[in-house]
Amino acid sequence: MSTAGMRRGGLVLTVLGLLGLITLYWMSFFWVDTEVNQGVVQRIFYVHVPAAWTSFLAIGFAALASGMYLWLRDDRLDRAALCAIEGGLVFATLVLITGPLWGKIAWGTYWTWEPRLTLTLLLWFIFVGYFMVRNATEDPEKGKRFAAVVAIVGALDIPFIHLSVVWFRSLHPDPVVARPDGPTLPVDMLLTLLFGVLVFSLLFFGLFLFRYAVEGLRAEADLRARSAA
Amino acid sequence: MSTYLTQVWAIVWKDLLLEIRSRERIAAMGAFAVLAGVLFNFSIDTTTTRPEDVAAGLIWMTLVFGGLLGVGRTFHLEAQDDAFQGVLMSPAPKDAVFLAKTTANFALLYAVSLLVLGVFSLFFGLNLGQNLGWLVFVLGLGSLGFVALGTLFAAVSTGTSMGETLLPVLVFPLLVPMVIYGVGTTTRLIDGRPFSEVEGNVRMLGAFALAALAAGAVLFRYVVEE
Repeated sequence: MSTAGMRRGGLVLTVLGLLGLITLYWMSFFWVDTEVNQGVVQRIFYVHVPAAWTSFLAIGFAALASGMYLWLRDDRLDRAALCAIEGGLVFATLVLITGPLWGKIAWGTYWTWEPRLTLTLLLWFIFVGYFMVRNATEDPEKGKRFAAVVAIVGALDIPFIHLSVVWFRSLHPDPVVARPDGPTLPVDMLLTLLFGVLVFSLLFFGLFLFRYAVEGLRAEADLRARSAA
Repeated sequence: MSTYLTQVWAIVWKDLLLEIRSRERIAAMGAFAVLAGVLFNFSIDTTTTRPEDVAAGLIWMTLVFGGLLGVGRTFHLEAQDDAFQGVLMSPAPKDAVFLAKTTANFALLYAVSLLVLGVFSLFFGLNLGQNLGWLVFVLGLGSLGFVALGTLFAAVSTGTSMGETLLPVLVFPLLVPMVIYGVGTTTRLIDGRPFSEVEGNVRMLGAFALAALAAGAVLFRYVVEE
């Protein structure tokens, strides 16, 4: 895809995502029923859970792109991984902001070592490690390889971290969608949540395409500067 | 296969011989472990906390920090004068180099972890009793997972301008499963509970170590390539 095409695609996805976001806010504030036990505060769920979903989508996507990069050595794959990790960092930060806000009212405390919150915190640190490795290498090619290794090992470690923190402690509401016996959520809440996941994924890919186009231009500018010198 | 093992063994032996002669890392790690035990002893108020309750956590934390001290310097000696290039240019495949480096690190860290177990049980008055064998086994599995991840990321951090300071940032988030399962298992074993109660955790420690070894063996070549 050309840079212009990517920017057009990014624009379309982002505009769709932003329109969806407005709709999502309307749905979660006015349309969906208030949850019986937790009351109004539970409405943050429709932002919190889709953001979490998107941050895990990001690390998966980045690990895949990183693995392909190590194999094919196409700089585009490295740029894709970089942009996905950046998006993931943004959405993981959203989870870490909305989680404590919800937790303060639902559980009476800002922070608990609740498994999924813990997992997101560790994921956030993996994202940060990715950037630190990348920026601490003088040779950019080396930085790309190192960062790819961080993304891949980070993604592989996530199932282990998940199992271990679940074993360690569980206060979080049990999964309400991905259950073997079908979702337990009322239909309107499920619809709002799934719509939220769709909206956040659209936003993620929209922002991703914009960032990816910028990185492509930057690489091109670097190349021109070097050939001119 | 036997060539492969010979190549691995050659590098392991070289590293261990260097260590036996210089005693650089093992001395630092051992001294760190014992001194950490002394400091931890003063960090516990025995009128409010029973040492047995916190000993397992302190043992694992000492292993993690002491391990970083030693494992972080895995490639330090060979980074001077580009000596590591010589190792990489040898006919041994890169995964053999990784497994050899990991094995040598494992030998060091396992020795230190046994020292930690002995010293801490002395300092904290632990009665290890019939679970001693299992404790020794569990520390071995934990050390293996640690050195597998630690060696891979030591190679990464040695290649960056930040050096060893980057290592904890990279490995601490990834080591969480090892710490959780390791401490969970060790606390119960020190408490004299039967092994069957912690068997699931021990399996997870083993799985973690194997996954870390496999990932390291595959990815190491991309870290050290020129």
